[in-house]
Amino acid sequence: MRNNIGRVLLALLFLWTMAGNCLGAVDYDHLFRQSSDLMAQGDLDGALNLLKQVPTPAPGEDAGAFVSSRMQAARIHASQKAPDKAIADCQEVLALFPDNSEARNFVAALREQAKPAWHTVLSDTIRFLPSLAKGALTTLLLVLCTMLVSPLGGLLVALGRISTLRPISGLCWLIIWFFRGTPLLLQLFFIYYGLPSLGITMSPLSAAVLGLGLNYSAYLGEIIRGAIQSIDHGQMEAAKAIGMSYGQAMRRIIIPQTYKRLMPPIGNEFIALIKDTALVSTIAMVELMRAADQLFNTYFNITALALAAVIYLLLTTIFTFIFEKIEYRAGIYEHR
Amino acid sequence: MSIANQPLLELKNITKRFKDLTAVNGVNLTVASGEKLVIIGPSGSGKSTLLRSINMLEEIEEGTINFEGREVGYILRNGKRHPDRPQAISALRAEIGMVFQHFHLFPHMTVLGNVMEGPVTVQRKTANEARSIAINILEKVGLSDKRDVFPATLSGGQKQRVAIARALAMRPKLMLFDEPTSALDPELVGEVFDTIHTLADEGMTMIIVTHHMGFARELADRVIFMESGSFLAQGTPEELFSIAHDNERIRGFLNRLL
Repeated sequence: MRNNIGRVLLALLFLWTMAGNCLGAVDYDHLFRQSSDLMAQGDLDGALNLLKQVPTPAPGEDAGAFVSSRMQAARIHASQKAPDKAIADCQEVLALFPDNSEARNFVAALREQAKPAWHTVLSDTIRFLPSLAKGALTTLLLVLCTMLVSPLGGLLVALGRISTLRPISGLCWLIIWFFRGTPLLLQLFFIYYGLPSLGITMSPLSAAVLGLGLNYSAYLGEIIRGAIQSIDHGQMEAAKAIGMSYGQAMRRIIIPQTYKRLMPPIGNEFIALIKDTALVSTIAMVELMRAADQLFNTYFNITALALAAVIYLLLTTIFTFIFEKIEYRAGIYEHR
Repeated sequence: MSIANQPLLELKNITKRFKDLTAVNGVNLTVASGEKLVIIGPSGSGKSTLLRSINMLEEIEEGTINFEGREVGYILRNGKRHPDRPQAISALRAEIGMVFQHFHLFPHMTVLGNVMEGPVTVQRKTANEARSIAINILEKVGLSDKRDVFPATLSGGQKQRVAIARALAMRPKLMLFDEPTSALDPELVGEVFDTIHTLADEGMTMIIVTHHMGFARELADRVIFMESGSFLAQGTPEELFSIAHDNERIRGFLNRLL
C-alpha cells in the first residue's frame, strides 16, 4: 500500500521534473542520461558522482532536478547496502522540503529495514500473544479439569481392579482395556461426533474433559493400583489388627503411603496430558495448538508456532516443579 | 460356670490348611484371664498361623473360637461355614492386640499418630482423648521423647515398643505377640522383653510365639511346644524343661536355642 503511494508519487515527481525541464530552467537531461548509462554498465560510483553534480537550488529556483538526483542517489546507496548514506541523501531533500513524502517514506523504510531481527520477532510476538494466551488459558483449563477428574477416576478404577468381587474387577479391567487400547483422538471423535447420534450432545469443553478424563483415568488407574499393591502387606494386617475395616485401612493407612510413589509416574502422565490437549483442537476447541495453527495459516509466520512451543515448555516446566515439590512433601516422613 | 473362672479364650479343634500342607492340625487350647502363655517350636511348626487364626488374620478350615464365652469369627449359612460380617470381625480384632515380628508401624504417621490411630479411627474417640491415652502409654513404654518423630528415625527396639503401645492404646483384653524380638539386633531384645515383662506384671493376658527362651523361663505361666501343627508338650516352664529331659525332639530344639 505504502509502496504504491510511493510509486504514484514518484511518477508524479517524474512528470513534474519533465515539465520543469521543458520549461527550460536548467537542463540536466544530459547528466541524468549519462548517469543512467553508467548505472546500466554497473558503474554505480560513477553514476553517483554525476548525480552529485546537480547543485542545491537557491530559494525560488526550480528544485526538480535536485530532488530527482538526490532520490536517485539514495536508491543507489540503498542498493549498495549503505543505508546511512541513502538516508543522508534523503535528508538533503528534506532539509529544503520537509514535507517531501517520497524522501520521508524512503527514510522510514530504510530505518525499518535497519532494525535487528529480534525487533521483528518482538513485534510478531506482541501481535500474536493475545490470541495465543487465550488458547493457552483454554489448554490450562483442560489440563486442570482433567487433573481434577482423572485421579479420582483412576482411584475408583484401581480399587475396582483389586476388588475381590469379580463383576467389579472385571468391569474395571474392561474400562482400562478399552481406554488404553484405542487412540485418544478416536475417543474424542466418538464422544463429540458419535454420541450426538445417540441423543447425547455436549459442548466441546465437556466432551474434551470427558474424553481426556476417561483416558487418563484408565492410565492413572493402573498406576494407582500398582502403587497400592506395592505397599507392604503387613500394613494392611497391622491396620486390620487394631480393628480397622478395609475402607478405613485403605483411606488412613494404605493410600496415604502411595502418594510419594505415585508422584513420579503421575507427573509423567500429566506432562503428557499437557501436550495431549492439542488433540482437542480437532473437536472445535481453540486451545493453544489450534490458536498457533490459525496464526500460522493466516500469516505464514513460523514465530506463532515457536511461541506455542515456548508456552508449552513453560507449562510443562511449571508443572514439573510443582510435582517435584509435592513429591518431596509427600515423602517427608521417610527422611531420617 | 461362673464368669470368674470362665476362660478368656477357648480354641477347639483349630485346623488350618494351605493347599496340601496342614499348618495347624486340630489344636485345642484354653487361655484363662491373666494367663501368660508362651508357644515355642521349630520354624514352620504352625505357631504363627495358630496365633493369626485367633484374630482372623488367617481363615481356619475347621474348629471354633470362643472369646469371653461367645463363639466368634464364623457363622453358619445354609449349613456352610463363612467368616462373620466384616464389622463383627473388626470388633473382635479391636479387643485383641497384636504385635508383629516386623513391627508394621504406619510410616507416614508420627509415633504419637501411630498410637492414636486405633482410638481415633476405630473407637471414634476425640483427638484430645486419644492424645492423652497415647501420651500415657508412650510414657509407660519409655518413649515419651520420641512422640513427634516418624518411625523411620527409630531403632528396631524402639519401633517394637511403639508397636506394643499402638496395640495397648485399644485397651485390649488379650495380647498376641508374633515373634516380637526375632527381627531385632541382640542388644535391642532386652528393652522389648522388659516392656512385655512390665505388661505381664500388670496382669495382661498374653500369648507369645517366640524363639527367645527368656520369655518362656521368666514370664510364662505355661509353655507349649508345638511341632508339625500340633502341641507336642505343654506345662509350666519347669515341667516343660523336665519333659525336655526325656523327649529328644524338645531337648534338641531347646539345646539349639540355649
